[in-house]
Amino acid sequence: MSLATALAISGSGMAAEAERLSAVASNLANANSIVTSSGTAYRAREVVFRAVSEGGGIEGPSAIGMAGVRVAAVVESAEPLRTSYDPSSSFADDNGYVTMPNVNPVEEMVNMISAQQDYQANLEAFNVAKSLALRTLAI
Amino acid sequence: MSVALDTGLEFYRHVLELRGYRQQILSADIANASTPGFKAVDLDFQEALGAVAPGEASPERPRSSELAWLVDDVRDLSPAGSGSPAGLAASVKYQVGTPVTLDGNSVDLNQNKVAAAENAVQYEAAASFVSQTIRMLTIAINGSASQQSNGGS
Repeated sequence: MSLATALAISGSGMAAEAERLSAVASNLANANSIVTSSGTAYRAREVVFRAVSEGGGIEGPSAIGMAGVRVAAVVESAEPLRTSYDPSSSFADDNGYVTMPNVNPVEEMVNMISAQQDYQANLEAFNVAKSLALRTLAI
Repeated sequence: MSVALDTGLEFYRHVLELRGYRQQILSADIANASTPGFKAVDLDFQEALGAVAPGEASPERPRSSELAWLVDDVRDLSPAGSGSPAGLAASVKYQVGTPVTLDGNSVDLNQNKVAAAENAVQYEAAASFVSQTIRMLTIAINGSASQQSNGGS
């Protein structure tokens, strides 16, 4: 039933956007984490979205039309780590520089707004499909 | 005079099915609004309707004498599953003219939201036509509308 599939697709969209939001939250929370469990400074996380169709493979528009979205991977940002001069810190290197995370707060805020809008759009699509399904029951 | 009891209903069944399918496609577009490389698609409703209901473009057309559910095998009555309705693949087309972002995504969120809202209205319209047709048949069976409402109370 196509309306049920539409609900599932919108649900996959909301789940993926929520994951993107949690990546943003993680990045902002760790904007000053100079030590992580791996011993190095925190690197910004980015989620990678991927369209998934029910049939598995993706070929042509008709297959894409069936597609939900899924978080394919969470990758670390390739941006170089920042350094700040702080000789008094116990984490400073021989030259007195401390390696800081490569989180860009401006980028994260923009990413957050984008994720919020996409989440809302998915929610609207979900509600429309739901009201159509209820309308069909009322026939 | 012989008139099948489902006059017109079969046509609206196709309409509701296709509108539901288009809603699904637009939902997929919205869900993938941030997916790199995703190209927005849409259902060509008119073409799809012509494909699933050939020659049945208007509900007033007299029906053929054979009924759709005179099947040889009961399995033919089961729905076609959750996949795309058969024969519709050719009617699903890429949206053209929408701006493509740097990551290769061509979903225009606002345009898709408008299309989804418009599609929902059309779906509601078809659903209310079905309701009206059923009410008309009920009146024809019971003799009058009031009789029907009395029976229901």
